Amino acid sequence: MPRKPQLICPAGSLPALKAAVDRGADAVYVGFKNATNARNFAGLNFTDQQLAEGIAYAHRHGREILIAINTYAQAGRVAEWRKSVDRAAEIGADAVILADFGLLSYAYQTHPQLRRHLSVQGSATNFAAINMAHECFGVSRAVLPRVLTLPQVEYVIKNTPVEIEVFGFGSLCVMAEGRCILSSYATGQSPNTHGVCSPAGFVRWEPEGQRMRTRLNDILIDQFEAGEPAGYPTLCKGRFEVEGDTYYALEEPTSLNTLSILPELMKIGVSAIKVEGRQRSPAYTAEVTATLRAAIDAAGDAHYSVKPAWQDALTKVSEGHQQTLGAYSRPWR
Amino acid sequence: MNIPAPIKTILQQLPELPPTLALVTALNLLRKQLWPEDDFAWLTGRSVRLEIADLGRGVTFGFDGQRFVTAEQPADVVFAAALADYWIIARRQEDPDTLFFQRRLTISGDTELGLQLKNLMDATDFEPLLQHLPQGLRSRLVI
Repeated sequence: MPRKPQLICPAGSLPALKAAVDRGADAVYVGFKNATNARNFAGLNFTDQQLAEGIAYAHRHGREILIAINTYAQAGRVAEWRKSVDRAAEIGADAVILADFGLLSYAYQTHPQLRRHLSVQGSATNFAAINMAHECFGVSRAVLPRVLTLPQVEYVIKNTPVEIEVFGFGSLCVMAEGRCILSSYATGQSPNTHGVCSPAGFVRWEPEGQRMRTRLNDILIDQFEAGEPAGYPTLCKGRFEVEGDTYYALEEPTSLNTLSILPELMKIGVSAIKVEGRQRSPAYTAEVTATLRAAIDAAGDAHYSVKPAWQDALTKVSEGHQQTLGAYSRPWR
Repeated sequence: MNIPAPIKTILQQLPELPPTLALVTALNLLRKQLWPEDDFAWLTGRSVRLEIADLGRGVTFGFDGQRFVTAEQPADVVFAAALADYWIIARRQEDPDTLFFQRRLTISGDTELGLQLKNLMDATDFEPLLQHLPQGLRSRLVI
């Protein structure tokens, strides 16, 4: 029987971290309150004291804490990113999740005992890139960008000694991971430099009767009619007028849901399954963790099937109108 | 949990000051216990309104650098949701993003201030507070 993959869950606060541990996450990933973290939202993330308490809680329950320091160090401010790696080592994180090769090199040389994971923001989609990160910086795990088909994921796994982690659930984006500067077109800031796609200071929601308009730095990016589901206020998920037609010109708000292919992910040797959503509340973390825990535990069974209750639980918390297998299932070539 | 029409009519006539005073008094009493590390600089001189969408009434409050205080409309940021949905959020049965996607929660005005407040609530450990409640009531509140 294939080895059960680890379940990696998101937490933007201490109650979310505890909820993830309580509901069966094998590891919880978190970030600091600064631009080194790709979920650098107002009021989100951990103070040192909260993180110390969270690490103690996870370790007491035999689980791990991974710290994402996964934006790119900015010119003249490299010390901030290095300091965050130092802090992660000091407070006893089990691993750091890094994207920037300079920072990977620093972590490898300064804290060789601290496990290093290559972040999805590192944008390594082939085994040669992953093996290079392994040889140069001792990377022990890589998180794959959400652009590969199942056979492609399998091909990577067969050709690398590095553990492979893939996304199992959560909001999707345009997935130019680690390379996206789309939002800087509207705000001058981008996820890889400031740790947030649409900084809240630039976002305005304008209710107008039953209709709601979304503006990003004053640019109208979407408008929702009464009862129409809303999405996150990012440029990639906006509706734009193109040659007289107004529609989701880049991407429709959609969530990834891999419940139906968990047995395949296990069979091809995926080491860990990750849930998106550090910006979400403890209620989301609890719901999604419990559901994925039950599904992963059942996925090794030959008679595995997706329970309607799991599907309902994930549908309820999903962003957008639909759920998808994303790139995993791409029957066309 | 819709508010029955006759009660709704009565509630719409009531002044907002008494519930607002009750809220800021409670916040001032609980502040050190629930948020020992937060200086609330982000809320100082700003104001937040929590409005019950199906009633058009709500509470508006802020922080004066020392204490939570009542505030005047218009507030810098306004949350609006049905009373039942505030209760669901408070009990952590659903997350606010889910209610936002479903258009049951709206945020207008200063989004960053609203996000700060939402994330403060998410990060709050209510356990010390619940410990003071009788066991029966406590087990009904905790999810």
